[in-house]
Amino acid sequence: MNRDKEIKIDVTDGAAIPSPKDKGLVTAWRITLIGALLTIILLVAFKPDPYLRILKFVPDGILVTFEVTFLSIALSLIVGLLTGLGRIARNRFVNLIASIYVEVIRGIPLLVQLFYIYYALGSFVQVPPFLAAVLAMTICYGAYMGEVFRAGIESIDHGQTEAARSLGFNRTQTMFYVIIPQAMRTILPPVGNEFIALLKDTSLVSILAVADLLRRGREFATETFAYFETYTMIALIYLLITLILSKMVSIMEEKMKPYE
Amino acid sequence: MFKKFFMLMAFCLIFSQTALARTIVFAVDATWPPMEFVNEDKEIVGYSIDYMKAAAKEAGFTPVFKNTAWDGIFAGLAGGNYDAICSSVSITPERKKAMDFSEPYFKVSQGLVVPKESKAKSLEDMKGKVVGAQIGTTGYFAVKKVPGVVAKSYDEIGLAMQDLLNGRIDGVVCDDPVAAQYALREPKFSEKLKIGAIIDSGDEYYGIAVKKGNKEVLDLINKGIRAVKAKGIEKQIKEKWFGSN
Repeated sequence: MNRDKEIKIDVTDGAAIPSPKDKGLVTAWRITLIGALLTIILLVAFKPDPYLRILKFVPDGILVTFEVTFLSIALSLIVGLLTGLGRIARNRFVNLIASIYVEVIRGIPLLVQLFYIYYALGSFVQVPPFLAAVLAMTICYGAYMGEVFRAGIESIDHGQTEAARSLGFNRTQTMFYVIIPQAMRTILPPVGNEFIALLKDTSLVSILAVADLLRRGREFATETFAYFETYTMIALIYLLITLILSKMVSIMEEKMKPYE
Repeated sequence: MFKKFFMLMAFCLIFSQTALARTIVFAVDATWPPMEFVNEDKEIVGYSIDYMKAAAKEAGFTPVFKNTAWDGIFAGLAGGNYDAICSSVSITPERKKAMDFSEPYFKVSQGLVVPKESKAKSLEDMKGKVVGAQIGTTGYFAVKKVPGVVAKSYDEIGLAMQDLLNGRIDGVVCDDPVAAQYALREPKFSEKLKIGAIIDSGDEYYGIAVKKGNKEVLDLINKGIRAVKAKGIEKQIKEKWFGSN
């Protein structure tokens, strides 16, 4: 790293180091985004009868989908971090509990988990559908995130721990001040993928009669028989949301890139 | 040569429709007891099923019942996945635009199922409360029509009843034979639930839905239904499934 480059970094016109992903104006992401937007606009312009009505019908569904998604993401990050730390803990008991949790949850389909929490446990505890949805998503994705966190933490060179410990950090401080901040970089891309997978999987919660985007669409379709139009629109809306989400993730990745 | 071939084809067609029993595939959402449901031997049974089997015997076709999820059952008919829907389909003007209906085979009202301690006597009494129904059914549309009542759509009526039993919602609206099945006959449900009101939705009837313009299938089914009514077989089937009430 020489001084010239350091000065360049302060200039605000784009990143100093061009990333290999960015190849000018034509990227798959842009083409997809513009394609999806154009399709929606054209459909609404040329056939407003079903399409515009669908657009008016689904916003509250989109809102519910977002609520479930972001609540589940926030909670599953916490659960994932705890699980990840548990999986590398020295305490045998903690390690075993975390490992069993991951093993069990990864072996049961999310749809079955949703049914289980809502209908099976409903015989004993009454969980409202929205909460059951968030709970199931959190438990399921917490296990996946736990593995991501574990792999990320394990990818940091052991020398880092040794250096921090010899500087007088205790084990907890080492983990939170030295290891995890560095692991974040490795962790972010897979976590971003989990976010997007989670958003798409929220469509499963419509089975609990949670009025999310998919259920709203289905209600509209069964009422008007406009199946093709409704599901086309629903697919496009999901696509738009995931595109925006994936862009957010890649922007965060850019921000975290170390400047060599 | 061609003439001969066509003659043969025509002969085959005529022959197959008369002597050989034609197969008609019916889509059934078998989650609607006692009208149509899956029994413990995994067979699709119920009032509608017996009715159609009797009609088939009279009209001379072979019925095949295919279990299909309600949500999308009409899309499958339009797409030609099956010939007809025999699944307690209420004949409504909106549906008539999208498909053809046979003659009605059952008169139906909507029943409001509520917990035993509830004082509701009509749908209007449910203002500010959550009422469940199956997605895309006349019951669900009836709930949605009443201002102030929160409508909640379920994939299957059984799931709505389960939620009502667990106290997550305040009522369920469905066709009255189904309401009677849950509120009066199913032991687990009838202990805690009752029929709070019968909502008269005008003259509502069940019919067999057929793809628009499929006259051949429609005529066969109608022939069967007429014969079942005329010969008094309908009464026997009613007694079998509904007893004397």
